[in-house]
Amino acid sequence: MATATISPSTPVVPRDKGRILVDWLTTTDHKKIGYLYLITSFIYFLIGGVMALMIRAQLTMPGLEIVGSKEQYNQLFTMHGTIMLLMFATPLFAAFANILMPVQIGAPDVAFPRLNAIAYWFYFFGSLIAVAGFFTPQGAASFGWFAYVPLSTSTFSPGIGGDLWVFGLALSGFGTIMGGVNFITTILTLRAPGMTMFRMPVFVWNTLVTSILVIMCFPPLAAALFALGADRKFGSHIFDPANGGAMLWQHLFWFFGHPEVYILALPFFGIISEIMPVFSRKPIFGYKTLIYATIAIAALSMTVWAHHMYVTGQVLLPFFAFTTMLIAVPTGVKVFNWIGTMWRGSVSFETPMLWSLGFLTTFIFGGLTGVILSSPTLDFSLSDSYFVVAHFHYVIFGTVVFAMFAGIFFWYPKMTGKMLNERLGKIQFWLLFVGFHGTFLVQHWLGVEGMARRYATYLPGDGFTFLNEVSTVGSVILALSFLPFLWNVYITHRKGVKVTVNDPWGYGRSLEWATASPFPRHNFTSIPVIRSEAPAFDLNHPEASDSVATKKTAKKA
Amino acid sequence: MLSKRALRVAIATAAATTTLFLTGCTQEELSSAILMPLPASSIGVTNHTDSITNLWNISWAVLWGVGAISWGLMFWAIIVYRRRKGDTHLPAQMRYNNPIEVMFTVVPLILVIGFFAFTARDMKVIETPNNPEVTVQVIGKQWSWDFNYTNENVYESGIQAQYNNTKTFDESTLPTLYLPVNKRVELILNSRDVDHSFWVIQFLYKKDTLPGKTNHEYFTPTKIGDYRGKCAELCGEFHSMMLFNVKVVSQADYEKHIADLKAAGQVGQLSLDASRNQNLPGVVAPVENKG
Amino acid sequence: MRTNARLFWLLAVFYLLAAVGYATVGLWEPYRGLSDEGPSLGNLKVEIIGTAAILMLSIMSAFIAFYLGKTHRTQGPVPEDNPQAKISDGDSEIGFFNPWSWWPFFLGLFGACVFLSLAVGWWLFFIGFPLAIVALVGFVFENSRGQHAH
Repeated sequence: MATATISPSTPVVPRDKGRILVDWLTTTDHKKIGYLYLITSFIYFLIGGVMALMIRAQLTMPGLEIVGSKEQYNQLFTMHGTIMLLMFATPLFAAFANILMPVQIGAPDVAFPRLNAIAYWFYFFGSLIAVAGFFTPQGAASFGWFAYVPLSTSTFSPGIGGDLWVFGLALSGFGTIMGGVNFITTILTLRAPGMTMFRMPVFVWNTLVTSILVIMCFPPLAAALFALGADRKFGSHIFDPANGGAMLWQHLFWFFGHPEVYILALPFFGIISEIMPVFSRKPIFGYKTLIYATIAIAALSMTVWAHHMYVTGQVLLPFFAFTTMLIAVPTGVKVFNWIGTMWRGSVSFETPMLWSLGFLTTFIFGGLTGVILSSPTLDFSLSDSYFVVAHFHYVIFGTVVFAMFAGIFFWYPKMTGKMLNERLGKIQFWLLFVGFHGTFLVQHWLGVEGMARRYATYLPGDGFTFLNEVSTVGSVILALSFLPFLWNVYITHRKGVKVTVNDPWGYGRSLEWATASPFPRHNFTSIPVIRSEAPAFDLNHPEASDSVATKKTAKKA
Repeated sequence: MLSKRALRVAIATAAATTTLFLTGCTQEELSSAILMPLPASSIGVTNHTDSITNLWNISWAVLWGVGAISWGLMFWAIIVYRRRKGDTHLPAQMRYNNPIEVMFTVVPLILVIGFFAFTARDMKVIETPNNPEVTVQVIGKQWSWDFNYTNENVYESGIQAQYNNTKTFDESTLPTLYLPVNKRVELILNSRDVDHSFWVIQFLYKKDTLPGKTNHEYFTPTKIGDYRGKCAELCGEFHSMMLFNVKVVSQADYEKHIADLKAAGQVGQLSLDASRNQNLPGVVAPVENKG
Repeated sequence: MRTNARLFWLLAVFYLLAAVGYATVGLWEPYRGLSDEGPSLGNLKVEIIGTAAILMLSIMSAFIAFYLGKTHRTQGPVPEDNPQAKISDGDSEIGFFNPWSWWPFFLGLFGACVFLSLAVGWWLFFIGFPLAIVALVGFVFENSRGQHAH
């Protein structure tokens, strides 16, 4: 019952640095934990990005030796993948879910605040352990982020780097599972009165569905990692080739690995679904079908894992081809729902909306190449080529990074009480957009022409040189786009104008826009009545509110 | 502007017509995939490349159509429905439209079912055993390939690509698989140690070599030529140097190559016993030299 | 709560159908990749890893669905599921939320020692494990000690 009355005029007493550190180490406030996740995951994003730049530098021309040895090159792409997926994108989901979800359902915190903090510290320490491999003499894990056996066993990848990778990720994975449990419990039990399931914001639904995916797929990963760790350190023979170990690992890993990419995608789809209605000044189109589509995507995603294994010759091709192709249908429904949100709306292009449109443009293409890859007939030639690399960067980077920046710009006033600079945001957006497509669009052609992934170099006679040069130039532009962003954060911190209203964007819909900017310590001093999926919008725009869909013709301005 | 009802009927009719039209198209009408062509050097190379290329071309035609619709609608919305300066109105708060939602669920579902049908048909043909005339056992190892020509009882053992200088490989040292043109070939795929993958780019096909398992590849090469091969599964430090060549030659040249191997004393078959991974089934430690 | 129970029942049924489909898809096309000594239903070779995994998903979903259904029946109607609820209908006191706590950090730190020791060596395990147990017990009983002790 720790309530405190905080009024806007309460003076903030400046505290010494030690007090502040203790405050952050002992916090159980979901918002602070969310900020911890956000900052830590962003730092890992930059680290993984630097690795990507080294990879691109190495591949610019054939025969380069930018990286010391091929073994180190293998470490680079292994850790780039591991960091980006498990230390940047997955914790970023935890970040946004922590910061926003309780507020959006009208709760004072999550159901298990201390467990929430434990989950963060497991992520923090587990990730440190996994990347600590770089500081060992034989280097970090170098067997690819999917760690196929027998390459990842101690016979073929001796060295403590691999052990650190295995156990660090196991620890971090437990943190994610705890986060998932916490989010599900919160959504099930701490909703405000009147906040029925079908009035929850789309972001909260996506958090719920993602958390269900987390509790379904991370335990098999933990089991597989412990089994691999036992094989590496304690002399067991779980993944022996004689026991079908090579395939056992692949099944277990991809049973985790595929839902993992939907864990990465769904929360960010939720962010987009929050932003588009605000800047189109219309509700999200097809709310219920959007929710059903999300549930369908999640359910199906647990049954498609072996589309990563088509070329092993050991999987049921028709089953997986069918389920993988089926997933395209609800995904398409979501895309059309987003477009329908803008249709006949009144669309403005503030930075969050610009990022959302960048996401939509990019994701559509990633989805198309995904359909190609879902067919084993076509995948036989493209698997393990740069076509796959291009595809997954389009869908993952297109979703996670674009939606991340959209969310950061959108909710910045809620988190900090200040708005990020719009002009710098737009410069960043266009640099990143051009840089991203410059880097990854050409990789589709490289893959079709036969460039294999995870290759440290290639032959001049392969004919890949020109497109690789283009890709590297694109990656430099992409990297440069971070400079305006960091500058933006710095100058906003220094001299940003404080926001005084609950809803600086004007057309906010969900409950976080009905409370102060930045958030009060316990989220709300009062909650408005909840009669639809857009309670703040109903409060601020009573002329538009209704509980039944209306199709009034709009008056043209 | 058309009334809402008329607009809905028009869209539904257009979608249905496009779908019917596309399913009825032949290969000539939907020729090469716009903007995303397969390598020209893969045309007519094996008995499977044509069907794969057809499926590729048709799929891209449909997908670019879907993309055009999606991007088109998106750009239309952001241009036509943008908020003009000084505008303060709220548009009609439309929340759903069942007929349109049903349409954009059902039409993709039909396209997906069609795509699956074509894929399943082609997949079955590619993976079915073909009563081979030539059988070669391909054994992947760190970091090269061994070829056992099982019917002719000769073998070739490869080494990884050797650098000339830091920039290029000496391509003459790469192992080369010889195959006779227009004969049914079966490749038996094994591994000595970790996962590898046997990928011949112009054959538009690859299959993994997994330790402890045996995989098979069935095809008929139909065009004489030299083809490039790569390992397509991360296998350690020199994964990028595990290159090979495939030469499809006339029957006479094939027999000459077999004779050359015999003359070089490479008679017999390299067994899987000499494997680095002593845990493979059938491997007896310590490994003895078998003649 | 009822909607949530239904969601998990939906998943349980879907995964059960998927498991049956997966186990029997060999009827459609002979599954050449499976070895002959592997598990089979009569003549039909079954890919056991995937079948077991999907079946377990079904059981897990059913488990959760059953529990949520029971909770809903015991709990009765709650204000968050009432579309006409006023904010004042909710409990004025939701529960106790720790304002801050040292235990999560220490549990994370010492738990990390334990995991690190699996990679680094047993000596670290013997240091980290007791500390982790202390942190765990401290965390669990934090709210039952001191002024809250019974």
